[in-house]
Amino acid sequence: MNDELNAIKQTFINESLDLLEAMERSLLKIENSPEDQETINTLFRSAHTIKGSSGMVGYYEIEKFTHTLENTLSSIRDGKLSINRDIIDLLLECKDYISDMIRVYAIEESVLTEEMRIKGDLLKVKLQNLKDEKKVLEKELKESSEIINIEGIWHISVKFNEDILTYGFDPLSFINYMQKIGEVRYIFVNAQKLPPLEELNHEKCYLSFEIGLYTELGKKAIEDIFEFVIEDVKLRILPPNSKVEEYIKLIEELKTDSEKLGEILVNAEVITKKELEDALEEQRNRKVLKGEEKKIGEIIVEEKMAHQPVVDVALEKQKKILESKQRESKTIKVDSEKLDHLINMVGELVIATAGLNQQSMKIGFKEFLESVSIMTRLVEDIREKAMQLRMVPVGETFSKFQRVVRDICKETGKEIELRITGGDTELDKNVTEKINDPLMHLIRNACDHGIETPDVREKIGKPRKGIVKINAYNDAGSIVIEIIDDGKGIDKEKILQKAISMGLIQDNQQLSEREIFNLIFHPGLSTAEDVTKFSGRGVGMDVVKKGIESLRGIIDIDSKKNIGTTVRIKLPLTLAIIDGFMVSVDDANFIIPLEMVIECLELNGFSREDTNQKKYIDLRGEVLPLIRLRDIFYNNGFLPPIENVVVVKVGQQKIGIVVDKLKGEVQTVIKNMGIFYKNYRHISGATILGDGNVALILDVQYLLNGGLVC
Amino acid sequence: MGRTIMIIDDSASIRQVVSLALTKAGYEVVEAEDGQDALNKLQNIKVNLIICDVNMPNMDGLTFLKNLKQLSNHKFTPVIMLTTESQQSLKMEGKMAGAKAWMVKPFKPEQMLEAISKLILP
Repeated sequence: MNDELNAIKQTFINESLDLLEAMERSLLKIENSPEDQETINTLFRSAHTIKGSSGMVGYYEIEKFTHTLENTLSSIRDGKLSINRDIIDLLLECKDYISDMIRVYAIEESVLTEEMRIKGDLLKVKLQNLKDEKKVLEKELKESSEIINIEGIWHISVKFNEDILTYGFDPLSFINYMQKIGEVRYIFVNAQKLPPLEELNHEKCYLSFEIGLYTELGKKAIEDIFEFVIEDVKLRILPPNSKVEEYIKLIEELKTDSEKLGEILVNAEVITKKELEDALEEQRNRKVLKGEEKKIGEIIVEEKMAHQPVVDVALEKQKKILESKQRESKTIKVDSEKLDHLINMVGELVIATAGLNQQSMKIGFKEFLESVSIMTRLVEDIREKAMQLRMVPVGETFSKFQRVVRDICKETGKEIELRITGGDTELDKNVTEKINDPLMHLIRNACDHGIETPDVREKIGKPRKGIVKINAYNDAGSIVIEIIDDGKGIDKEKILQKAISMGLIQDNQQLSEREIFNLIFHPGLSTAEDVTKFSGRGVGMDVVKKGIESLRGIIDIDSKKNIGTTVRIKLPLTLAIIDGFMVSVDDANFIIPLEMVIECLELNGFSREDTNQKKYIDLRGEVLPLIRLRDIFYNNGFLPPIENVVVVKVGQQKIGIVVDKLKGEVQTVIKNMGIFYKNYRHISGATILGDGNVALILDVQYLLNGGLVC
Repeated sequence: MGRTIMIIDDSASIRQVVSLALTKAGYEVVEAEDGQDALNKLQNIKVNLIICDVNMPNMDGLTFLKNLKQLSNHKFTPVIMLTTESQQSLKMEGKMAGAKAWMVKPFKPEQMLEAISKLILP
């Protein structure tokens, strides 16, 4: 412990001395260029940091002194105090004093001498005096409003109509009544309007009152005191400062659809209706009499009906309400079929534009090329916008699972909480619909097999309540959905045994952790001992995997014993159009989804000869297995002088695809292959290129796992 | 599962005090020197809670908060702001930008741990 404290102290000393040096540099710089705001900021920040850290480390004397210095610096920063040579001298002296203090307290670990203490006090007084010179004026201005800010006290200012006495009311009775609902802390009588004695009419009320009332009651109750004379009194009730936070909270939580600031404030009981009317009248008066255009919020603050921060919050609220109203009115429901149609057309448009692009290259007419490139850009924007039309937040799908989890808890006696995060992440509507079943399966698995019963959990020191989390987020052009449980994890041994007994693997086969977990996706493999209503029949995970793959997604499992399991699903944002990378073998074109491509290499000379036997290359010290497209799709054809390797990454695996030529990036509109081709698993679809040719889209996932690594 | 907390402060000694207290309480701690540094680090890691100073060079606390909300994986990470200024307006700005709690320096480690335990599960 002592070592740690010493280490902290040492850090503090080094850091503070550095900062003090920086302060000195800034001060000298400011002397030459007093207008340099950036340097003044640095100066302020240095003092601020020293103050903060000395307080944290426990040198309160240093903190106190630096606080005074910081105040002065903040006046300088805010332009309230202009810098001159004397001030710089004083500040430099202060800097020296701080470094003295650090030496005494932190390095020598002693206390200040009497002499130093006096010096410190003197410096503090000097610093304060600097501020006071400017403050005197402000203070006078403030004097009258100062009394308002006493904690917990309502400030009520009352100006009665001059004729109030003739109506039969006694102002004193109202003040007396106040004693009943609270405690009157102070009263100031304003007698400015009182005329000279000879002009004084003893039937008129010339006095007005400023009253400080301490009460638990709200604004309305205070206003009610004056209920009977409300028309004949000018009343201002300013809530105590302590109320400000309460009001802010009220406004934030307020459920209203009124977009008028005044109404928001009335609804939150910040101001009363009467006050609002007064303020509105004041607004009108100012416009008519003085030609002033004032906002209602400004008037409410100026007339001391509410504090500025409260009005600010209300303004923010107003903005939000307005926004949500606009959003409401701007939503149009569209038949999703129409939308699909539109997106199809956009797809065709993309293809057509690509064709146009190619033609324009051939013609090579400059102005023509330029128009085509503008059009290409526009079409790309259109494609993006069209895709966004189909995006919906995934949260809705997720929230359905709450019910599922609840049901499982009831059935199995487990205690499970489902936490949803990232629900506003957006995903293609079609994908959202199709992802529902696989997710449901995974959630059930997590609850059923993952989370232990409360008793078991307690025994191994986990909280009784298990947690299953669904989390969604965007990650480089795709969306990732994670299902995380804090249950018992997957038993690797069990999977291995089962897999061996099923003949999936040999019992001397070495498998990585990832490969073992991936065995779960084999049909028929379930390690749950008993089949429950919800899961354990071994038909689950392979169906899940197929479901995800049909969406061109990737599923991945990670698990730690007794800590939990994470299933990670990575999905493309959209189904219809992808960015593709085109390659060719002989005269056939193939598309690899661009997001999977990491890099391209040339395969020539020696390494090429080598691969004929080894079927892998050395990629900067890494073994990179190769797949030769020529081997899969061709047996003959011209072998080009140079072949290329496209390095792709699927999940955590990397693989090199050997092709003849690299052709570059293309916008790929995916067309499904007819059922006639359904057995050709290497191909996931096709696309039509700009020149009318067809290119096949490779199913990289299948190439990787289909045992085709050459 | 271990909880990770990020402390962002330009003062090394404050970082050290805070991270000592947190490590002792069983949290993993990641340190960052200012808002920009923090944003860079958050690209690669996921933290459960962020403790952040207001007044810092390069990128101050409020700007950091605003930027944090743009990171998809940390959009909902609770943030405790640290400051020596208990000004109402700053506090409001922080609240608007999404700070969950506010602590005035100097504070005791226990106060901080209590605030943390209110925001995330132990």
